[in-house]
Amino acid sequence: MNVLALPGSYRSTVAIVLCLDVGFTMSSSAPGEECSLEQAKKIMTKFVQRQVFAESKDEIAVVLFGTDGTRNDLASRDQYQNITVHRSLMLPDFDLLEDIQDVIKPGSEQADFLDAIIVCMDLLQKQTIGKKYEKRHIELFTDLSSPVSEDQLEIIIANLKKTGISLQFFLPFPVDVDDGGGDPSAGVHSHIHRNPFPRKGLTEQQKEGIDVVRKLMHTLDEEGGLEEIYTFRESLERLSMFKKIERRPMAWPCQLTIGSNLSIRIVAYKSVTEEKVKKVWTTVDAKTLRKDDVQKETVYCLNDDVETEVQKDDTIQGFRYGSDIVPFSKEDEEQMKYKTEAKCFSVLGFSRSSQVQHCYMGNQVLKVFAAKDDENAAVAFSALVHALDELKVVAVVRYAYDRRCNPQIGSAFPYIKDAYECLIYVQLPYMEDLRQYIFSSLKNNKKYIPTADQLSAVDSLIDSMNLVYEADDGETFEDLFKPSKIPNPHFQRLYQCLQHKAFHPNEPLPPIEEHILEMLEMPSVVKERCQGPLEKIKALFPLKEVGKKKEKMTAQDIFKDRNIKILVVGSVNPAEDFRILVRQKNADFKDVSQQLINRIDQFLENKGSQYYMKGINCIRVFREEAVKLSKVQCFNDFLQALKSKVEDKALADFWEIMIQGRMQWDTLTDGSGVSLKQTKSLKKSFTLQLPFSH
Amino acid sequence: MSDWVSYYRGEGPQEDEEEEQDEERAEAVADYRFLGRDSLVFLVDASKGMFEPDGDGATPFDMAIQCIWSVYTSKIISSDRDLLGVVFYGTEENKNSADFKHVYVLQELDNPGAKRVLELDQYRGDKGQVLFRDTFGHNADYSLGEALWACSNLFSDVRVRLSHKRIMLFTNEDDPHANDSVKAKMARTRAGDLRDTGIILDLMHLKKPGGFDISLFYRDIVNIAEDEDLGIQPEQSEKLEHLMKKVRAKETKKRTLARLNLYLNKDLSLSVGVYNLLHKAYKPYPVKLYRETNELVKIKTRMFNAQTGSLLLPSDTKRAQTYGNRQIVLEKEETEELRRFGSAGLYLIGFKPLSVLKQHHHIRPSQFIYPEESLISGSTTLFNALLMKCLEREMMILCRYTARQNTPPRFVALVPQEEEVDEQKVQIAPPGFHIIFLPYADDKRKVDFTEKLPASREQVDKMKEIVQKLRFKYRIDSFENPVLQQHFRNLEALALGLLEPEQAEDLTMPKVEEMNRRLGNLVEEFKQLVYPPDYNPNGKSVKQNQASDGPAKKRVKVEISKDELRSHVQKGTLGKLTVPVLKDACRLYGLKGGGKKQELMDALTEYFNEH
Repeated sequence: MNVLALPGSYRSTVAIVLCLDVGFTMSSSAPGEECSLEQAKKIMTKFVQRQVFAESKDEIAVVLFGTDGTRNDLASRDQYQNITVHRSLMLPDFDLLEDIQDVIKPGSEQADFLDAIIVCMDLLQKQTIGKKYEKRHIELFTDLSSPVSEDQLEIIIANLKKTGISLQFFLPFPVDVDDGGGDPSAGVHSHIHRNPFPRKGLTEQQKEGIDVVRKLMHTLDEEGGLEEIYTFRESLERLSMFKKIERRPMAWPCQLTIGSNLSIRIVAYKSVTEEKVKKVWTTVDAKTLRKDDVQKETVYCLNDDVETEVQKDDTIQGFRYGSDIVPFSKEDEEQMKYKTEAKCFSVLGFSRSSQVQHCYMGNQVLKVFAAKDDENAAVAFSALVHALDELKVVAVVRYAYDRRCNPQIGSAFPYIKDAYECLIYVQLPYMEDLRQYIFSSLKNNKKYIPTADQLSAVDSLIDSMNLVYEADDGETFEDLFKPSKIPNPHFQRLYQCLQHKAFHPNEPLPPIEEHILEMLEMPSVVKERCQGPLEKIKALFPLKEVGKKKEKMTAQDIFKDRNIKILVVGSVNPAEDFRILVRQKNADFKDVSQQLINRIDQFLENKGSQYYMKGINCIRVFREEAVKLSKVQCFNDFLQALKSKVEDKALADFWEIMIQGRMQWDTLTDGSGVSLKQTKSLKKSFTLQLPFSH
Repeated sequence: MSDWVSYYRGEGPQEDEEEEQDEERAEAVADYRFLGRDSLVFLVDASKGMFEPDGDGATPFDMAIQCIWSVYTSKIISSDRDLLGVVFYGTEENKNSADFKHVYVLQELDNPGAKRVLELDQYRGDKGQVLFRDTFGHNADYSLGEALWACSNLFSDVRVRLSHKRIMLFTNEDDPHANDSVKAKMARTRAGDLRDTGIILDLMHLKKPGGFDISLFYRDIVNIAEDEDLGIQPEQSEKLEHLMKKVRAKETKKRTLARLNLYLNKDLSLSVGVYNLLHKAYKPYPVKLYRETNELVKIKTRMFNAQTGSLLLPSDTKRAQTYGNRQIVLEKEETEELRRFGSAGLYLIGFKPLSVLKQHHHIRPSQFIYPEESLISGSTTLFNALLMKCLEREMMILCRYTARQNTPPRFVALVPQEEEVDEQKVQIAPPGFHIIFLPYADDKRKVDFTEKLPASREQVDKMKEIVQKLRFKYRIDSFENPVLQQHFRNLEALALGLLEPEQAEDLTMPKVEEMNRRLGNLVEEFKQLVYPPDYNPNGKSVKQNQASDGPAKKRVKVEISKDELRSHVQKGTLGKLTVPVLKDACRLYGLKGGGKKQELMDALTEYFNEH
């Protein structure tokens, strides 16, 4: 397995040396192609980026060979020349990424890659003393063009074996293609090499190098040694995704109880849960970019006219109980609250599995096993799992993580695999979590019953878009689209953007990477197959868009669209017209608002709730704009006039609607960024003139 | 604030509630502001017939009161912003704004509160009925039309905007004005007026000896909401639980979470409404009160610059995260933009057999979709065709789901559900698709499984006997949340000045005695088959082993020298140590570090920088 693509071990750290050939052949390339050095640097960059964003504890060192200078512990007069330890073993960071991109330059020398391996081994030995590493590992990037002396091969192999240091090669070309360019599809790695590298171009030196590499890797591991040799191309593909988030599952030991006399020792782990990004955004000052410069302050104030501030110590905690507010101190609450006795996994009873489907709560799934190293528990647990499976029932259990946590009700159902068997626990809803809604019947309404033709069109759509089909062997199934194999695109996108911003802080965000978008689309075979059936559905089902969802329009949007020329307040959309007109240059607020008032009058003449609503909308917009443009008096005058009009013309029902809308009005004003003083004066004008108090 | 929130929302240290929940909460609140409040008037027939017991069951009147009382208490928990009211008709006394005879408004439309619950509570049970008779009396000379009129007055007397207006009429008289055509006509006219003003009138008909015949009178009176038409009439409710079911189903207005398109491809789509049929009910947030007066205080948060003390507007700040020793800064808008993958909608990927859906791939409660004609007309027929075919062929629909514009997409399985009504003709399963959220690769964790050790046939069979003895029928509403129930009973007791809160029965506790009794000797027999005589599955012996072994081992590991710690602090590699080690170190130096790793690390860093 390619260590680069490994999901990362969470148990303890790995020490990795990235060993890069910077000899002069690495920087030469065929026209139109990227040189080997650039390709290798790309792979290293991707790898280090993944480590950085996964916040892996693995430590990374960098050794270069073929450098003009020499800097390593083993160097002596003519030994281990042109090999440089560029960076000691430490956590990877953005400095390393910058080094790889900008500092590491092609050299004009060459060095023996076996010598480089020895330097790497030496580094790993010395720098890991006294520390615990799960694994020590060397990644070698080279084009094998430098002369190589096999004298030390045996010693290297013996030492690698003795120290347990593992080794992987990354080459610009595959090693398993025969000289004559035989059938590449017969090769061991043919499934990976979609475009086998043209072998012709290899020099004698490189061929010799390949032989040494094969000998080395084969002796290290007869079975899989050669599989540890990778091409640049396949590695890049594998590294195109950021690592999936790995977390160490915590064991939760407990006893499964049935009644008070039967218990089975168990251990549970979280196995599926909606993973969140590990970090949250912190707020920093826009100028200094320092977090400490931003301070938050919370003030408490009374709900009176002057918003009298009170001290936090003078406040107590309370809760709403319907319309009542009940003072309830934290201490009292703690004292009186429900208390969970202890952690538990207690069976309440067993129920048919069909009764608990599609109603799971919570954000996680637990896998429950028998306790480790307890054969008695394992047998008892197995008996339970199989009993449930054979009877097709689930256990309904009370689960409490510990005494600080609220108890849950959940369903535990059997799950039997070749390697293991377990119970799977998912939370069930409480009565309070249910929303029991009634939906109109679809089958009892003739209007919505599809015709036979329509049904058969849907049938053929399902056939053409079936993602699961029987494999050739007739037993297993092929699934064309498995979401659980897809990395969360949100994380991929976040890391992509962070990475971009780390190097280019002043540029806008990059576009979403093509391969991310592709991975979210339906498989292309299905896309082609379903064309016909979809056309048929389109023809057979009359579908028509009715009234588009109201797009949120901001004043800016309106101004952007200079094609619209509005000259007067029309009757179709008077409020919007008004909004635009009053903002035009040289607009006469009085004149425009008179136009609006005329429209409002028309609406009131018509009498009828839809006209009223339109009128009220106009009044609302009028009020907002008046506040924004400091023409409050204009609005208040209108309101005064309106009030008397309403009294004259017996428009009590209109007035009522208007009053009902009052609460909403106030909130609208509060949210509009109006200064407090203005709002207050307006409120006052409202309270003065509207008979709210009755 | 953060620990405050986790105290109220968290399920404990292992679970952080997600931001989505907050978003949904915010939406629910927004709903009230923009759409207005829901309102519900209970109109209860209080004439003699309602008080006549039938056999051993409760009287129809008692059933109605029980039911209303329970709606009140549940509304306080689930949606205390809704307005409720109670009106009786057929009483001797009267009280209403229009002075109609024999119509008594017990409670006008208002939020449910402790006093109102207590008032209703008085009229529950046998004693309650006597009290009711003494207080209000009966009189058969009522007019249903006037009662309806009084109800509609309640709605128009409310000052706040109402989004949803409903009357539930409880009666067991199927032809109240059989001999008075004028009154019957007036009732019909009034019912028509209600319909015109958008007030829903539901009939909760109770048991009448000889059966309740809707066709006699009420067919013209009731006014079923357009979106709740089952095409069949429900049966009369003979038992409280039947009545409760009918009322429960209609007590809350259904609200869509979103209306969006289901795209079959780029230019072919139908529209659906998304609903939450499951929604975690939380203990509500506490509010702050002024100690002197117990009035609500407003909480305002503001940001200021620590250097200059000047107020900071949101635009004066940016957002940052640190990776690989580098702080990366984005504009706030950019942090939103990077969550954007396209516009909201469900995008068809393909179909799969239902059998490939894995029960254990659960990451979130499901949602529900039902066709929506308001965006694309004709959606319902296509939706129904998809539903019928998926049900028939046992298929599900795989989609990519973007719930809102700035919400990253998730893959979901649309699982078909056939509509179902029970014996009382009450809908128990609506037609539509459940949206089942599927995990991404990141959401699955590898766990360290225990090697299996298969049980013998005999052992499995014995366990099967045990299982069979403890079978019950799980119902989705079987369990109340004991934490919430206790919280609200405490509040109720405080609000009403009771000395002791009523203790809520904890339904989540196993009924151990009953279980033991049912199991009898089976447990001993099973243990004999599986456990050796000296084995104690309660882990005492094993635990003791661990206890003498574990911490000792740990302590050896934990003892980390001062120099080592110092060097970790200097190199910034404290993070490599485990939480228990850090905790122990903090304890050793008498530092209070809180429970989180970062807090422990901060405490140690500070300590070593000073010492």
